[in-house]
Amino acid sequence: MLRRLSRLLLLMQSLVSKELKVRYKRSVLGFFWFLLKPLFSMVVYTIVFTQIIRFGGEIRHFSLFLLTGLLPWNFFSGSLSASTKSLLDNHRLIRSVYFPRVSLPMANVAANAVNLLLSLIVLETALIAFGHTPGFSLLVLPVAMLMFILMTSGICMMLSVWNIYYRDVSQLMDVLLLAWFYASPVIYPLGRGIVPEGLESVLRLNPLSGLMEIFHSILHQGAWPEPWCWASLIVWSVVLFFLGIAVFRRAEPAVVKEL
Amino acid sequence: MPARGTVSFEGVSLDYRLYHDRTVSLMETFLNLFNRRTRVELFRALDDVTFRVQPGQSVGIVGPNGAGKSTTLKLLAGIYRPTSGVVESVGRKASLLDLGVGFHPELTGAENVFLNGALLGLDRQRMRELLPSIAEFSELERFMDIPVKYFSSGMFMRLGFSLATSVDPDVLLIDEVLAVGDASFQQKCYDRIMGFQGTGRTIIFVSHDMEAVSRLCERVIWLNDGRVVMDGGPDEVIGSYVSQTSRPASTGTVDRSEWGTREVRFESVEVRNESGVPSRRFRPGQPIVVDADIVSSLRGTTDGIVFGFSLHRPDGQTVLGTNNLELNRPLLKVDDRLKATLSIDLQIAEPGEYLMGLALTDPARNRDYHWLDYRFRITLLGERKERPVVLRQAKWECRE
Repeated sequence: MLRRLSRLLLLMQSLVSKELKVRYKRSVLGFFWFLLKPLFSMVVYTIVFTQIIRFGGEIRHFSLFLLTGLLPWNFFSGSLSASTKSLLDNHRLIRSVYFPRVSLPMANVAANAVNLLLSLIVLETALIAFGHTPGFSLLVLPVAMLMFILMTSGICMMLSVWNIYYRDVSQLMDVLLLAWFYASPVIYPLGRGIVPEGLESVLRLNPLSGLMEIFHSILHQGAWPEPWCWASLIVWSVVLFFLGIAVFRRAEPAVVKEL
Repeated sequence: MPARGTVSFEGVSLDYRLYHDRTVSLMETFLNLFNRRTRVELFRALDDVTFRVQPGQSVGIVGPNGAGKSTTLKLLAGIYRPTSGVVESVGRKASLLDLGVGFHPELTGAENVFLNGALLGLDRQRMRELLPSIAEFSELERFMDIPVKYFSSGMFMRLGFSLATSVDPDVLLIDEVLAVGDASFQQKCYDRIMGFQGTGRTIIFVSHDMEAVSRLCERVIWLNDGRVVMDGGPDEVIGSYVSQTSRPASTGTVDRSEWGTREVRFESVEVRNESGVPSRRFRPGQPIVVDADIVSSLRGTTDGIVFGFSLHRPDGQTVLGTNNLELNRPLLKVDDRLKATLSIDLQIAEPGEYLMGLALTDPARNRDYHWLDYRFRITLLGERKERPVVLRQAKWECRE
C-alpha cells in the first residue's frame, strides 16, 4: 500500500514537471502566463462590472476582489478541462504499459495547483501593498486549498472516465463551465444583498460556493469565513473525492479495454 | 510469494465488449433508454487459459491473428484485468509492446528517459545511474539533450527499446517488435534479448515468425480462438502449428505467378548443380545453385536489394523461406545489371517434389521488385526423415 502510494507520488511528480515544462516551452513570457492570464481577465471583468454593469463599485478594490475569485476558479476550470481528456489523450500509453492511471487526471490537477499556489503568493503581496492586511485566518487557507484540491481531483477522476464512454462529456464541459462560473460567487460576493435572497440560498448548494466565499473573506477581507462555508467545503470535498475514487476504480478495468 | 519472474495464468478468461456501431453518443444512449436495442456483444478473447512459467524460461506464444496472443501479453503486463481467473506475474516487467509510446515530443531524450522510468516505478536516482547505458546502447549519446520530436523514427524506436530493456526486468514481454532500426541494430536487439536468457529472466515472446520463436524459445504455447491448443517444446508445437495452418491450401494446384514492380527484375534464371550442369534433381549434400541475371531500370545505383528464395510442397505449403537480409548476408547492389549466384545447401529430411520461388525485394523501402512464385520444380533425393528440409547454409556471390 505504502509502496504503491510512493510510486504514485513519484509518477505524479514526473508528470507534473513534464506538464509544466511542456506548457511553457517555446513561449517568450513562459512561466509568467500563469499570472498574466488572470490579470487580463481581471481587467476585462473590472471594466465590465464597474463601467458597464455597475455593481462592483461598492466593493473596495474590486479588481483585487476579482482576483481572489478568479485564481481559484482558473485552477478549477483548468483542471477540469485538461483532465477530462487526459485518459483519451494517453490511450496508446495506457494500452502498452501498466502504471497507476489515476496519476493522469491527478497530474493535471497537481500542475494547476502549482500555478494556483504561485499566483496566490503574488496576489497576497499585492493585497498587502494595497492595504488588505491578512488576519490570522490566512493560516487556515492551506487547509481550504487542500480540501479544494481533493474536491477538484474527485470531479476530474469522474470526468476522465466518463469521457471514454461518452465523448460528449468534453464538449459539454465547455458549456457547463460557463454556467458554473456565473453560478459560483467568483466575481460577486454572497451575503451582501447583491444576489436576491431566494436565489442565494440555492447558490449556496453549489460545491464551489463555500470555497469561493472562504477565499474572498480570508484574502480580500482578512476575516474569518462563515461556518456554512466550511461545512459546505468539507462535505463537498469529502463526498466528491471519495466518489471520484470509487467511480474511477470501478470503471478502470473496463475503460482500459474500451480506449 | 512465488519467486520473481514467475508467470502464471489460472483459468483466465477475458471478454471484450464489441460495439457494432462505434458512434456511441449521449444522444443515442438516451434514445436507447426508450427502445432497448443492444448493440453490444461480448467477445471472449481468452477462454479458460491455464499455464505456468518458471523463472528464467523463454516461452513463445504462437497462433493466428485474433487468437488472443496480444491479449495474453497485456494481461501479463497488468494492463488488462481478467474477467475471471487469476493472472500472476511477479517482479518488474518490461513490456516491449509499443516502443517509445510514453515519449513526449517536446521533451529531450534524457527527460523522456526519466519520465518513462517514473512510469515503470523507478526513481530519478536509479534512472540517473541507468542513463549512460541507455544512451550508449541506443547509440544516441550525442542526442540525449535534443527534444525527441527531432528524432527519426529509427532513433525513437532505438531509445524506446534501449530504455525498456535497461530497467533490469524480471519478466520481458515482447510483441513482435524486433524490427527496430537498421539490420545491425536489429541484430543488437536480438543479441540483447538472447543475453537475457540464462540470467533467470522470464521471456514471453509473441510472434508470427516461427524461425525467431524456435531460436529464442525453449517452450511454445499455441493459442487458437482464446484457448491453448498445444503447449510443449518448440519443434513439436511449431511443427504441428505450421502443418495445421497450411493444410487448407492442400487441394488444387498452385499458381505460378509472377508479380512486382519489376524496376529491378530477374532477366534470366538458371538452376544448376555445383559442377555447372543445369539440373532439377539434387542429392543430399549437393547444393542447389541459382544463377540469376538481374537488371535494373532505376537510375543510378540501387542498393539494399534483398534476394529471397522459398521452397514449397507441390500443394503450395511453404517449407522454407528466407533471404540474405534474414541470414545477415550482404544485400545486393545493382547499377543496371548484375549476375548473382545463390547457392543453397539443404539438409534433406523429406525427399520429394518441391517448388522453388525467388524474389527481389527491398523491405526498407517497402518495395516488391520481382517475385517468381512457385516457379521452379525441383526434386530432392534421399532418405525420408522427419523434417522436410533444414537449411544448412546459403551463400550469395555477386559479380558485376
